[in-house]
Amino acid sequence: MKVRAGMMRWWCKMSDPILEFNNVDIEYQTRGDNAVHAVNDATFTIDEHDYFGLVGESGCGKSTIADAIVGGLDDNGEISSGTIRYKGTEIQNYSESQFNKEIRWKEISVIPQSSMNSLDPVMKLSQQAVEIAKYHTDLSKAEAIDRLRELFDVVGLSESRIHDYPHQFSGGMQQRAIIAFSLFLQPSLIIADEPTTALDVIMQDQILDHINSLKEEWEISMLMITHDISVVFENCDTMAVMHGGQIAEAGNVVDLFDRPRHPYAILLQNAFPDVRYPDRELAVIEGHPPQLREKPDFCTFADRCPWSIAECYEGAPDPQSVEGDEDHQAWCIRANEMDELAADHLTKPAEGRSILEDIQ
Amino acid sequence: MSRLRYFAHRTAITVALIFLVASSLFVFFRLMPGDYSSLLVQQGMNADQIARLEAKWGLNAPLHEQYVRYITNLLTADAGQSFRHNAPVWDLVRPRIINSAILVFPAITATYIIGSLVGTVIGRYRGGLFEKSSIITVSVFHSIPDFFLGILLIAAFSQTINIFPTSGMLSTETAVMIGGEPFWHRFFLKEFWMHYALPFATITLYFMQYPALIMRNSVVEVSNQEFLHYHRLKGLPRPALLRKLMRHASLPVVTLYPISLASSISGLVLIEIVFNWPGIGRLLVDSVLARDFPVIQFVFLVAAVWVILGNFLVDLLYGVIDPRVSVGNDNNE
Repeated sequence: MKVRAGMMRWWCKMSDPILEFNNVDIEYQTRGDNAVHAVNDATFTIDEHDYFGLVGESGCGKSTIADAIVGGLDDNGEISSGTIRYKGTEIQNYSESQFNKEIRWKEISVIPQSSMNSLDPVMKLSQQAVEIAKYHTDLSKAEAIDRLRELFDVVGLSESRIHDYPHQFSGGMQQRAIIAFSLFLQPSLIIADEPTTALDVIMQDQILDHINSLKEEWEISMLMITHDISVVFENCDTMAVMHGGQIAEAGNVVDLFDRPRHPYAILLQNAFPDVRYPDRELAVIEGHPPQLREKPDFCTFADRCPWSIAECYEGAPDPQSVEGDEDHQAWCIRANEMDELAADHLTKPAEGRSILEDIQ
Repeated sequence: MSRLRYFAHRTAITVALIFLVASSLFVFFRLMPGDYSSLLVQQGMNADQIARLEAKWGLNAPLHEQYVRYITNLLTADAGQSFRHNAPVWDLVRPRIINSAILVFPAITATYIIGSLVGTVIGRYRGGLFEKSSIITVSVFHSIPDFFLGILLIAAFSQTINIFPTSGMLSTETAVMIGGEPFWHRFFLKEFWMHYALPFATITLYFMQYPALIMRNSVVEVSNQEFLHYHRLKGLPRPALLRKLMRHASLPVVTLYPISLASSISGLVLIEIVFNWPGIGRLLVDSVLARDFPVIQFVFLVAAVWVILGNFLVDLLYGVIDPRVSVGNDNNE
């Protein structure tokens, strides 16, 4: 149901983009004259009310992208070229105070990667809420606390706990509190950076359910960053796969699941267990992504790709539209040959129905 | 509730500790070789006179009686009589405590405030020339023995360029002149502050290393903490972030503050001698040389109480600035 609703939105182009990345390069300066080119030529679009998943392995640049959106890059990081538009306005050159005034928390809030260490240990949760209110709103102390009380109820925490310190909460409760904080100013976009990594599977499931229902009820756009492609397939409407600082493939979740055209996306799917083929051996993607000391002028997956050819090393790949799908692009020069080349990796149930619909 | 329990617990421990120290001091001083009577013999007293004095001072009573009298006297704020000055110990020690305290507390406090600021700056801007030169400077000052640092300062500022007086608290004439006035009147005299400057500078420079280097490490560590990044993403302005950074980074420095206060009391003995400052350290040395053991014993007790109270203060402070600190386990999870 949810997926189909997403598809409808996708196909009908009902909504405007809320966030657009256009050829964004992000670098970190390191000691000496060196730089690490963490993100290169990233292009993707998140539509209003979209649930967008960004997948990739550790160090591929996903969290850097999240930080760049809210101006939270470390002091040595900078957006060296390209544009980031939020609701049509370019924000990549915003100053710290512009981000504070116009973007952070009011428009875009973040559910950070390590919830267990993200709450200030010496402040009561109510104090932390009052603090957000103080810097962004005219709410009085009592009003801010009332608001937190409501939100605690929304995320399923007991309202009586709002005056507790973070260390009095379990990991799952801290994660819920963080979700409550992210809703505090009713933002238009929430970035969830690996929201469930530190939690056990049952808690993961609960938290994801929670995020999903909030997304629907509060009409929030969502950017979910994760290394778990199954989480994206299960929850998101649209997605992008990243590898080695480059976007590998982007598009609708169903299209990308049924017709992956970038070798990394294909192999990644085979690397996760499938309930229909319990005996299948999981694929292992050999090798490591390259160290990005220089801006890569080649496909960063080429070294690990079973189908790479000499041309893969001659320039960063341009996006190829996937035939028959709308807004489904793969950054691979052989994208249109992939269904033949990787035929044995692309076996799907014969009846032509996506498993995603079976899940629903 | 847990905070109240924490404070009560700390208070109980502090009281018990002071009692234990007082008792130990009694035992140790009775175990020491050499007693006061041998000194009286040297002064030419005969056995009769000595026996009379010992009876008067209660020195020939059994030890447990002496102990009970010692503790009851302490509880009624009576520290006994000085052998040498034939005056109550408390009257001797009290002005000395004040003199030491007006030197040590401001000096160590200034050290920690300045040192924390220096530490914050070098922790924020690592790798620069300022960081290297600051670390070398504070390390050099701490590597020189404190009394020698005092002598160097005297050589520089009293001998070579003659701005500050070499020693004492006031010149003799002034001391006589204001003799009858209340103690605090001297704080209005420029002369007092000129005398104050060098011992103050000695303590400050010598102890600067601890707060500066600990704060630097702490700032570096806290800067990488996730919650600070989260605060930034929530849209807190830079000054607010810096305040948070400093609050968290100052935790270990706060712990160290009373330890420096306490350890300064041992360093103080030498600094007070170098600068001829009429504090508790000099009283201790003079009394040891005269075997005036009621005074020595009490000065040791004062020093111990000084340290214990310092730590008590920090425990209380810690309970306020870091709510995670509490006795026992009262986690709700």
